Amino acid sequence: MRRRTVAKLGLSSLLLSATGLTLPAQAQDLRTITGGFDVGPGGMPGNFNPMTATAGFTWLSLYFEPLITYSAELDKFVGLLAKSYEMSADQTSYTFHLVEAKWHDGKPFTAEDVRFTFDLARNAASGSNFAARLSGITGVTTPDAATAVVKLSAPNAGFLDTITKVMMLPAHAMAAIPVADIARNVWWSTTPIGTGPFKFNRYVNGQYVALLANPDYRLGAPKVDRVVNRYFENTAGAVAALRSGEIQFSYVESDDVPNFRADKNFRVIEGNSYVVNYLGFNQEVPLWKDVRVRRAVMHAIDRASIIKSIYGGAALPANCGYVAPAFVPSGLDPYAYDPAAARTLLEQAGWAKINGDKPIALITYYNTPQAANVMAAIQAMLAQVGINVVPRIVDVPTYNATVYAAKPDFNAFPLVYAGLQNGPDPSGINIGLNEKQIPPAGANIMRIRMPTVTTAFDAALAETDAAKRPTRYQAVCKAMNEELPWGTLWVTSRYGVVSNKLKDFTWVPAPAGGPYDAHAERWALAT
Amino acid sequence: MPPKAKFIIKRLLAGVAMLLGLSVLVFLLLRAAPGDPVDAYINPSAAMSPQDLAALRTRFGLDQPLPVQYLAWLRAAITGDLGYSLQGTGDAVLPLVLSHIGPTMLLMGAGIALAVVLGISGGVLGAVRRNGVVDLLLSVVAFLGISSPAFLTALVGLYVFAVRLRLVPTGAMLTPGAPFALGDLLAHLILPAVLLSIGHTALIMRYTRASMLEVLNADYVRTARAKGVPEFSVVARHALRNALLPVVTLIGSTIGLAIGGAVFIESVFNWPGMGLLMVTAVRARDYPVIMGAALVIGAFVLLLNLLTDLAYAAVDPRIKVG
Repeated sequence: MRRRTVAKLGLSSLLLSATGLTLPAQAQDLRTITGGFDVGPGGMPGNFNPMTATAGFTWLSLYFEPLITYSAELDKFVGLLAKSYEMSADQTSYTFHLVEAKWHDGKPFTAEDVRFTFDLARNAASGSNFAARLSGITGVTTPDAATAVVKLSAPNAGFLDTITKVMMLPAHAMAAIPVADIARNVWWSTTPIGTGPFKFNRYVNGQYVALLANPDYRLGAPKVDRVVNRYFENTAGAVAALRSGEIQFSYVESDDVPNFRADKNFRVIEGNSYVVNYLGFNQEVPLWKDVRVRRAVMHAIDRASIIKSIYGGAALPANCGYVAPAFVPSGLDPYAYDPAAARTLLEQAGWAKINGDKPIALITYYNTPQAANVMAAIQAMLAQVGINVVPRIVDVPTYNATVYAAKPDFNAFPLVYAGLQNGPDPSGINIGLNEKQIPPAGANIMRIRMPTVTTAFDAALAETDAAKRPTRYQAVCKAMNEELPWGTLWVTSRYGVVSNKLKDFTWVPAPAGGPYDAHAERWALAT
Repeated sequence: MPPKAKFIIKRLLAGVAMLLGLSVLVFLLLRAAPGDPVDAYINPSAAMSPQDLAALRTRFGLDQPLPVQYLAWLRAAITGDLGYSLQGTGDAVLPLVLSHIGPTMLLMGAGIALAVVLGISGGVLGAVRRNGVVDLLLSVVAFLGISSPAFLTALVGLYVFAVRLRLVPTGAMLTPGAPFALGDLLAHLILPAVLLSIGHTALIMRYTRASMLEVLNADYVRTARAKGVPEFSVVARHALRNALLPVVTLIGSTIGLAIGGAVFIESVFNWPGMGLLMVTAVRARDYPVIMGAALVIGAFVLLLNLLTDLAYAAVDPRIKVG
């Protein structure tokens, strides 16, 4: 009896000590916001170098800052390290007037830092992802410490959009690092300094990154002492941590949204993903040459039903490659669900001779259960009109190795289900649609050669008059809608969930995580 | 040269050859898998031009012929340089791998220790109370443990104890940003360790029970009882000692199984061990980390095998090495 009691006491004390002893560690003096800032498609955990980042700007922009950024509504540029800017009459020179700011080590931010950053970002040897997009810069001059002038070889309508992601870097701290060593230098994950509201504090490999408040931030000291970005292997782990109160924010999948909406302890932030999902018709195979076949595919898919039943209404139909209202004209063909029309179009195009019921691989890198359901629905709907697609879900490296191969096997990806970021500025999708972007020049991996689409894009890209750009891009949208280089399907919503303990918190499900004007110095914890 | 030293040198040389073979095999398997680190790096919804991708491949040395790539890796590996991770921070592989071994050993050690203690205790209790209520309950628990897939127990355990009851943290090894505290570590360890141990506990319990039942019916146990030896001593000293022999063999094989289980548990609980490191590296096609981790794990296994053989020889004079 006594032995049993001792055993019970021992086990109980082990459990109690294990749980109870966490209290001192969790009850910290520092006001800390902990979140899964790199969870989901906008995140890029483990990447600390903004020049090599293809996502993760929600987090990076807490301690680095660009000259200009997007507003939180993603509808206009706002100044950050540049209080204002102007463009020359010939549209080849941008003059940035800088704010008075200090690096986290107390040194002043100057025009020399702007020159250093742009020189580095446009130098491919630094490993910069911006090298190609900034190749039009011919030089940066610094008339005085508070003015930087960027000169371009030719007008570039996408220049301002591009530089929203170019985070300013400290010349005095980085100049000694050889350019070839910069991409993977340990500086990024140990002692980086920026000008943002938070300072880099600590990175624990694969676990978390911690930032401390920058009390000298020019827009005011942050209202919390620390921000911690916890890494999660999957979204489910982040959701569990959010529910248990360990973190106060995370991106979540749409399946989790109803539960959080029903919980008064959380606030759901919903926003446009700015990624249009499409069926890519590989023009190197004989299946999709006839536009009537492409139109038949569109009429065969009941997009409204998929949006309602699989996405739970959290998506909008997309009738061209982007959805920003200013760039989408009225009068587009909505390609209403009409299987009879689809069959007629296929018959007119001679589908029986083109392919008949032979299987066609439909490849995608989306590997969530929801995406599998979408693929199954598309397969069933296309089968009804006599197009026999066989979905193949692969991981990202396999997909990229297939479509980006130097000598691709076009029969391996006759049809893809993919997505391409468009964002507030649609110029980004030119790389996937313009005939001039056929590899190796660009990423027009479906080898689309449609003169009307290319001409419309060229005209839009050359237009630097902001007032005329919407009209130009409406023409692109119209050409896409008529020619169907892609079968554009929908743009889904993305969700973030915030604990009610977090106040004045701004998060936008922007492509690549932003950046945008998040005003992180205002983020606060309820007392 | 003494036979033992000769044996050790021979085994070490064979081990080096095996590691070399292992490195060639892993290198070739990685290259045969679709996609390389650059393919894993590209965000498909943020297109990059093939020229940019080619520049990345050149930077990573992936544009070189395979034999050149392998020999360059081997040349560096011989000097102890296993290269740098191709992901984010570009950490040196050797320290990265070594830093993940400790957490895995801790998780596995705790899981196996729990399984051994609970499994043997339950098995003995079940055998002693054969066909009683306790035995029946323990049998049900054991069958549930054996038949529950690891992913289910891990996720259910996470939901119930971490999310609903909030008794323990949902993941990680320590509270992010907090100073080290033993209690914090134990709080993070207890749930994944218990969940890792469930299947093994059940298995050990069944083996122990069966083995104990066999031994409890043996003549020498009957004799001990007839001599008036107290029941506790009969069970603990006479029966259990002999019944444990097959169980010890099972525990040995449990260690191997626990490595596989730990990989899954580490992913669910974001436990910073070898499993999580390998899963992340494979997903990112991070060749240097995968190669380095395979090499370090291989070296550990070979070394442990050698030490085991030497230990056998030390404890059993009938076994000779050399």
